[in-house]
Amino acid sequence: MRLATILIAAWAATAWGQTIKLPDSVERLGAKAEEKVEITMDKAMLRLAGKFLSDKGDEAKARKTINGLESIYVRSFTFARDGEYATADVDAVRAQFQTAAWSRIIGMRSKEEGNVDVFLKGGTTGQLGGAVVIAAGPRELTIVQINGTLDPDQLADLGGQFHIPHLAMGEGARR
Amino acid sequence: MKGRLLVILLLACGAAAAADRDFDRLVKAIESHYGTRHTNLPLMGFANFVVKVARPAGTSSFHLAMFDHLDTPSEERDEFMDQMGSGSLHPLIRVHSNRDREATYILAGDVGKTTRMLIAIFGRDAATVIEVKVNAEALRKTIERPDLTAQRFLGKHDDH
Repeated sequence: MRLATILIAAWAATAWGQTIKLPDSVERLGAKAEEKVEITMDKAMLRLAGKFLSDKGDEAKARKTINGLESIYVRSFTFARDGEYATADVDAVRAQFQTAAWSRIIGMRSKEEGNVDVFLKGGTTGQLGGAVVIAAGPRELTIVQINGTLDPDQLADLGGQFHIPHLAMGEGARR
Repeated sequence: MKGRLLVILLLACGAAAAADRDFDRLVKAIESHYGTRHTNLPLMGFANFVVKVARPAGTSSFHLAMFDHLDTPSEERDEFMDQMGSGSLHPLIRVHSNRDREATYILAGDVGKTTRMLIAIFGRDAATVIEVKVNAEALRKTIERPDLTAQRFLGKHDDH
């Protein structure tokens, strides 16, 4: 009974905020942001959502992709004005994925649309072990962490689903 | 045949009981934590009318509890909801709007062909707890635009 209580307490304490560890400077952006959205989809929720995707087109692809996933975690900040967060805030997030385990495959810089970085984590047998997308626009900062096994080609299929930004990855970028 | 029917009936009752437990647990926790009572709705017919008007497409089986004059410091809402745990439901979405001084927490779980969502919306001086069954389309809309959940379920946004 005591063990069960401890397990439930541990689960409750971590359930909303599990996975990605954001630097304090980014956590504090929540107070500045006009709106902050957090989405945590664990395996059970992904299966549930997958059941509701159709067998046609992009939804069919997304459905196939999420079968191998363990979790998707999204955190998005929307600001009332430009320049509410510093480049250093985003750099601190990027720095977490500049390790041997991760490879940055996309680094797009645009004054108008903002910056997008995609980091991939190596997995087994040519599959990926996870992905992180950091989309930093003038008034919006979105960080997505995808855990689980997925094919590199499948990553773009998740764009536009589950609050994940659209990822217009060309053939070259996919390989 | 009778045995199978009995099993189905028991399973249905079990699912309904679990749904009630999650909803009741959250309502009681708010009452206990903030020292308040949810608004009894003697005009339940009126409330149902309001909910019916506000009910977004693809939703059914509404349970609703409202709290008036409820001052919940925004910084402690997360902690409160963290401590709630989720029973048979999974934490899915958390939205904070500094603009509207609102926070929305959504937990969800599988019930056969539909999904059950438990939604807690904390406003400036009020809170609303909603339990509702949603179909695929309603679930998708919630995930795609979680920031509109409060508006959709409290009738300020028409997505029919």
